[in-house]
Amino acid sequence: MSARILSQRQSSINPPVKLWQNLEVGSGIVRILVLLVISGATTTNLVASSPRLSSISPHGVQRGEEHILTFAGSNLTDAQEVWFYDQGLEVTELKVEDQAVKVTVKVAGDCRLGEHLAQVRTASGISDFRTFWVEALPPVAEQEPNGDFSQPQAVALNSVVVGDVGNEDVDYYVIEAQKGQRISAEIVAIRLKDALFDPYVAILNDRRFELSARDDTALALQDAFASTIAPEDGKYIIEVREAAYGSGNRYRLHLGTFPRPTITYPAGGKLGEATEVRFLGLPGQEFTQELTLPPESPREFGVFCHDDGGISPSPCAFRLYEHGNAFEEEPNDTVEQGTPVELPLAFNGIIQAKGDVDHFRFTAKKGQTFEIECYARRVRSALDPVMHLMQADGKVVTSNDDSRGPDSYFRWDVPEDGDYVLQIHDHLRNGGPDFVYRIELQPVAPVLTLGIPRIERNGQYRQQIYVARGNRFGTLVSADRTNFSGDILLEGDNLPAGITMHAEPMPANMSSIPVVFEAAADAAIGGKLIEFKARHADPKQNLQGQFRNRADFVIGPPNQTVFRSKEVEKLAVAVLEELPFTLEIVQPQVPLVRNGSMQLRIVANRKEGFEASINVQLPFRPPGVGAANSVTIPEKQNEVLYPLNANDNAGIKKWRIYALGSADVNGTAWVSSQLATLEIVEPFVTFEVQRTACEQGEEAQVYCKLNHHTPFEGEAKVELLGLPAKVSTIESLGFNQQTGELTFPVTTVADSPVGKHKGLFCQVTIVQHGEPIVSRAGGTELQIDKPLPAPVEQPAAPELEKPELEKKVEVAQQEEPPKPLSRLEKLRLAYQQRLAARAGQ
Amino acid sequence: MHKALFLPAIYLVSSWLSGAAWATEAPALRALHVYPRDVQMTSSRDRQSLLVQAEYENGITRDVSTEATWVLSDPAIARIEGNVLYPLSDGTGELVVAYAGHETRIPVVARDTATSLPISFRVDVMPVFMKTGCNTGSCHGAARGKDGFRLSLFGFDPAGDYFRLTREISGRRINLAELHESLFYKKGTGQVPHTGGKRFDTESEYAKILVRWLEAGAPDDQGEVPQVTAVEIYPEHAVLDGLGANQAINVRAKYSDGTDRDVTTLAYFMSNNDNSATIDQAGLVTAQNRGESFIMVRFGTHTEGSHFITLPKDLKFQWQEVPANNYVDELMFKKFKKLCIQPSELCTDERFLRRASLDIAGVLPTVEQYEEFLADPDSHKREKLVDELLSRKEFVEMWVMKWAELLQIRTTREISYKAMLRYYNWLQERIANDVPMDQMVRELLGASGGTFTNGATNYYQNETNTLKIAENVAQVFMGMRVQCAQCHNHPFDRWTMNDYYAFASFFSQIGRKQAEDPRERIIFNSESGEVNHPIGGRQMKPKFLGGAEPDLQGKDRRVALADWLASPENPYFATNLANIVWAHFFGRGIIHEVDDVRISNPPVNKELLEALGRKFTEYQYDFKKLVRDICVSRTYQLGTQTNETNANDIRNFSHASLRRVRAEVLLDIVSYVTDTKNKFQGLPAGARAVQIANGNTSTYFLTTFGRAERGSVCSCEVKIEPNLSQALHLLNGDTVHQKIQTGNLVGKRLEEGKSSEEIVEELYIRCLTRRPTDKEKQELQVILAAEEEQKLALEDVFWGVLNAREFLFNH
Repeated sequence: MSARILSQRQSSINPPVKLWQNLEVGSGIVRILVLLVISGATTTNLVASSPRLSSISPHGVQRGEEHILTFAGSNLTDAQEVWFYDQGLEVTELKVEDQAVKVTVKVAGDCRLGEHLAQVRTASGISDFRTFWVEALPPVAEQEPNGDFSQPQAVALNSVVVGDVGNEDVDYYVIEAQKGQRISAEIVAIRLKDALFDPYVAILNDRRFELSARDDTALALQDAFASTIAPEDGKYIIEVREAAYGSGNRYRLHLGTFPRPTITYPAGGKLGEATEVRFLGLPGQEFTQELTLPPESPREFGVFCHDDGGISPSPCAFRLYEHGNAFEEEPNDTVEQGTPVELPLAFNGIIQAKGDVDHFRFTAKKGQTFEIECYARRVRSALDPVMHLMQADGKVVTSNDDSRGPDSYFRWDVPEDGDYVLQIHDHLRNGGPDFVYRIELQPVAPVLTLGIPRIERNGQYRQQIYVARGNRFGTLVSADRTNFSGDILLEGDNLPAGITMHAEPMPANMSSIPVVFEAAADAAIGGKLIEFKARHADPKQNLQGQFRNRADFVIGPPNQTVFRSKEVEKLAVAVLEELPFTLEIVQPQVPLVRNGSMQLRIVANRKEGFEASINVQLPFRPPGVGAANSVTIPEKQNEVLYPLNANDNAGIKKWRIYALGSADVNGTAWVSSQLATLEIVEPFVTFEVQRTACEQGEEAQVYCKLNHHTPFEGEAKVELLGLPAKVSTIESLGFNQQTGELTFPVTTVADSPVGKHKGLFCQVTIVQHGEPIVSRAGGTELQIDKPLPAPVEQPAAPELEKPELEKKVEVAQQEEPPKPLSRLEKLRLAYQQRLAARAGQ
Repeated sequence: MHKALFLPAIYLVSSWLSGAAWATEAPALRALHVYPRDVQMTSSRDRQSLLVQAEYENGITRDVSTEATWVLSDPAIARIEGNVLYPLSDGTGELVVAYAGHETRIPVVARDTATSLPISFRVDVMPVFMKTGCNTGSCHGAARGKDGFRLSLFGFDPAGDYFRLTREISGRRINLAELHESLFYKKGTGQVPHTGGKRFDTESEYAKILVRWLEAGAPDDQGEVPQVTAVEIYPEHAVLDGLGANQAINVRAKYSDGTDRDVTTLAYFMSNNDNSATIDQAGLVTAQNRGESFIMVRFGTHTEGSHFITLPKDLKFQWQEVPANNYVDELMFKKFKKLCIQPSELCTDERFLRRASLDIAGVLPTVEQYEEFLADPDSHKREKLVDELLSRKEFVEMWVMKWAELLQIRTTREISYKAMLRYYNWLQERIANDVPMDQMVRELLGASGGTFTNGATNYYQNETNTLKIAENVAQVFMGMRVQCAQCHNHPFDRWTMNDYYAFASFFSQIGRKQAEDPRERIIFNSESGEVNHPIGGRQMKPKFLGGAEPDLQGKDRRVALADWLASPENPYFATNLANIVWAHFFGRGIIHEVDDVRISNPPVNKELLEALGRKFTEYQYDFKKLVRDICVSRTYQLGTQTNETNANDIRNFSHASLRRVRAEVLLDIVSYVTDTKNKFQGLPAGARAVQIANGNTSTYFLTTFGRAERGSVCSCEVKIEPNLSQALHLLNGDTVHQKIQTGNLVGKRLEEGKSSEEIVEELYIRCLTRRPTDKEKQELQVILAAEEEQKLALEDVFWGVLNAREFLFNH
């Protein structure tokens, strides 16, 4: 028997399907690409932008054979290429039929089993990626009716039953097996990732007794598998249904004599080394195999169990680690009995039975910091671990249950040199022969991950880079920094020839930046899956990270939770056919000031005959800058103004922005403007505007004091805006660099609304380089009162000496225009007048 | 108070009258009871009233306290005034009571006769508020008090009451300078306008207690205050002879310091059946109409009761011997004899076959079963039938359904369909595999794990509120509604707020966390979390309801509770489950409702209930055996026809009662007789309504006929009362007519070449488990002859039979 290890590592080779031949020597690898036969439909080259892929059928193919896969979705009629994320799949023919893409694929005999990914490149875009399975056994179709236990469908052992479960449907299959033969039934249902289908599988004898029945499994979660050794020669019935008799969906039931272990022990090993692995959870005899592990760690790695009976349809999860393994030695149920282990080995063990507790004793040095990770559910063990870290005497230092989903994790600074004990048990104190775990004590490591923020809640739309020839495409690129900070530089080295990337370094305080890709006018149509990378701006840090993207496939209750998703580490990039328009931001010559606004001019260059309206967005907005979601360049027009507003906290900086335009070109096509600069500065001038009050029908003065911050040339103007109804003022006042004060006369009428009107503000427009800098320079309130009732006629008061202030006013009146009184000054004046009047009585 | 003063006079007259009437009959005296059976006086202020009850050979009892002669062996220790003993000096002696040639002696002890106990707010004053109705819900015991003054309802918060009386409005409610000016005193004695009117006289004992307390300076209690540990009510039972017969009640309280006290004047009296016997607040019971009543006394937080039977005056009753099949009948007959009731005759074989099939398995017998059973000459064929029905899957399904109601198995926001199904399957496996009830309850209440991997954990998802879980557990497994005690001591039961919160704290450490599957939750012992008493906020230590305070160090509280709950140590578990089983077969529990067990709602046959509980425990909680005991008893097999003696009996099971068939079973039997199938969501076609797993799955038919939605644990969820919409649905709705059409039973039979008479006979047997009577045959023949198309006519007959009450009811 030999166990086969197949890496799920995604290769970096070019997609095997190409329209032309290419020799690439730069990376030292020479790749010969297959010339593709292009069907008639493709040659007509119907442009249908924004292609979407919704399914690949059949959901599984047998390896070593040639199959036709149908890629269904929308806007796929100009399909040119199919990209697989893994090796062993070769396209020999691609044609478009009935809006779907029919692809003939030769699946290599040694193609990795299990889930694979593919996506379609069309002449005008890149689709989403979807999954399909590569299988070892030949398929056989379900035939209804098979819902009666007494009349099951007969199928041959060692085949994949392709079936469907409807509402409250139960499917029965019958197989023949000899005594001692292994019968395994593994269902791939929710793992097909197209419906929330929680299956149940049982192997029964012909007297209805269940020999093995499973619903949920730690290995495959909702998916199930059952396995047993036939107790005698005879017929065995396999039952498949939805766990709660609900409606299911498509499933692929692997029915054979293959071994179906639940987990391996240990569930991890040292990179590049040979490791002995025991397969657990098999009916009958368990067995041990020696594996040679790959020297480098791919993102996903699994171990397939293989013997004379066949190969398991899906792998057991397996950790690759840079250090070797240490193993628990029972009894280790108490602190004192803790198995002595040495760092940096990974601790491996099994919580064997209900109530079992394992301990490991190790030595650590002061100053060390560890990320202590318990891998149990993450290696698909049934264990829900709880970890306690203790001093040598058993005093608990720290503990954790669920920091990593059901798995446990904590970071620990070793306080002093000494012996420590790590304790582990199940949260519910359960246990079992396959309750495997491993604990890794890792140093704290920085991790950088790039991504493209989602446009759709659960879809992959525009999470690819597709640039039309001689045009641009823009996107936001985000970065997740773990355990470090600092500026990040994006690297565009892996982009297909002819595509240039424009991006500024991502500052330490930002988690996303705009990036614009530009394709040369003569760039070749085509593309590839690339490793899109970034590095720390400080070369001393020697830190690199790369793009990663998670696609959600199965969503369900409660609360639209994601049940099944898939993560990739490749970015799909392509050069598309030319598009009939380009977009340009007319670089503003003036800055946007805080509390100011700007009309950003965006210009479209249309090709002859292209008249459709163009929707324009600003996907990146500097902090504190607001704008409409989108604006539209109407049909046949070439220009639009995009209004921007900056609040008083807008980030002072020269920002890079881009405009993303979309238009209907047999499907939505996307183009970007260049990266333009938007500078945000402090306002040139601010106003202190005094509150004012008057009675209905009176005139009031709004007095403004100017504070100049940035010099400007020439005459600027200011308007008083926000006045209530039936109140008016002059249109605007002019001012220049030297002006210190301004006064707006405000006129009210007899029925102007009474009350405090708070919305008054000054809007300043300073023109520079022929462009306006508009800002809101200061606000105030206007109080309008009802006139007091007419005073009662009183005998004339004797002439009094005028109060000091009044005198001053009089003097001023003689010399220069009267200085308008502030509200406070007016109140003071009125008070003094009243005092005087009383004194005179 | 005037009423109270006059009472002794009435009492004398009535006892004289009854005595005189009795004299003519002169049945033999069987025993002479003196209550209480001992006298213990422990301070100069103590006293003890006594009563003497004569029991005659025919079961009648009579209060002869005033006619008996009382002699104390040592007159120095106490003096006798009427029927009350007052202490004189320390010592022990004997009281000799003699009447009509009989003599009974009881010991008398007087201690500490020189000491006078200081007055206590809690021991002496609080009972006055209770007795005189001050702290009832309609008066100052209301949540917001009454007219600006609040007392805790039935005195659950003495410290609060003390504060409100003495401190809330100083100088007003009590006035220590002018004691008689204290407002609460003046209001109570009616000296100033009082919404509640005059509650007691200034010369009354109650007024004197209040004055004594005020004279002492209205002190609060210091240190340990003796608690009432038990209340005794005398006589323990009585059989009153005809309208107007009287019996005085005597009440004694026992305290935690070992003393006791005559609290007859301080206790509050109630009767649960005024139609049979009334009681006044002086403690005098007066017989009314024939029947039973439970005379209750409430003192402090304790309620106790005494069983009273009222018989018609000079009833002539001769018990006719009937054979008892088992202990059920023996205990039933014992009770019947007391009540002077003769049970009905046995029902016919046909009736029994239908009744047992519907009750045990929820099905109707087939025509073959009917013929076979009737033809069987075996004298034990009824037992054989019970055994056969018990062995059927349908029996399991019936009880899965009943338990699913109690365990509220249904989908909710917290419980997905899959989790619900797991819960249901868990229950089904337990019942199908005869898992003893105690073990099942332990598994349920102590459940930990995922809601998918361990279905029982869904019990804690269905209800997540700690207090509500505790209430549900008490109601389902002990039959007790303790909800009242959340806010105040239970007014009609013994449960205090302390009991309530101490019981709830068993459920305060339930941890819940998200499992890997977003639809699944994990229930575990979180080992932390407490319940605090709302008054004073103290942490409550878990204490079994009516049991001990267990040591829970290092244990899962729920597991400890489940161990106790489902053990013989818990006096309520076995009897409660036995009562639930009983109620299924009789339509009414020995305690009715089954989830309303309280002192003030006593079992109609306590001995029987206890016997059933005892048997259930002996059977290792295998309820199938209990069902067998019940179904083979003669009591279960009685006819519905009543006789002269039991015509009015609706509580004592002396005849079978008519019970409308419950919704699920009804739909199933309609489907069976019409030969049609049902389709319910989440179940394969043809599934029976009894098998519906989800409480939320229903049909118009099931809802109309009162299927439980399983929204609460209340036994009231299942409605078996007939109503108009049910009748209309059967007459005009789509179920009956459509099923007759779909099933085409008549058509099939006609095709088989059966005659109309044969078909009619089959329809009768299928639906009613009997052949048509000759009269019915004749009348049907007329109808059938008048109709040309026989199929139509026969289907009309079918429809008629299905709409007959005889079909809808189990009888």
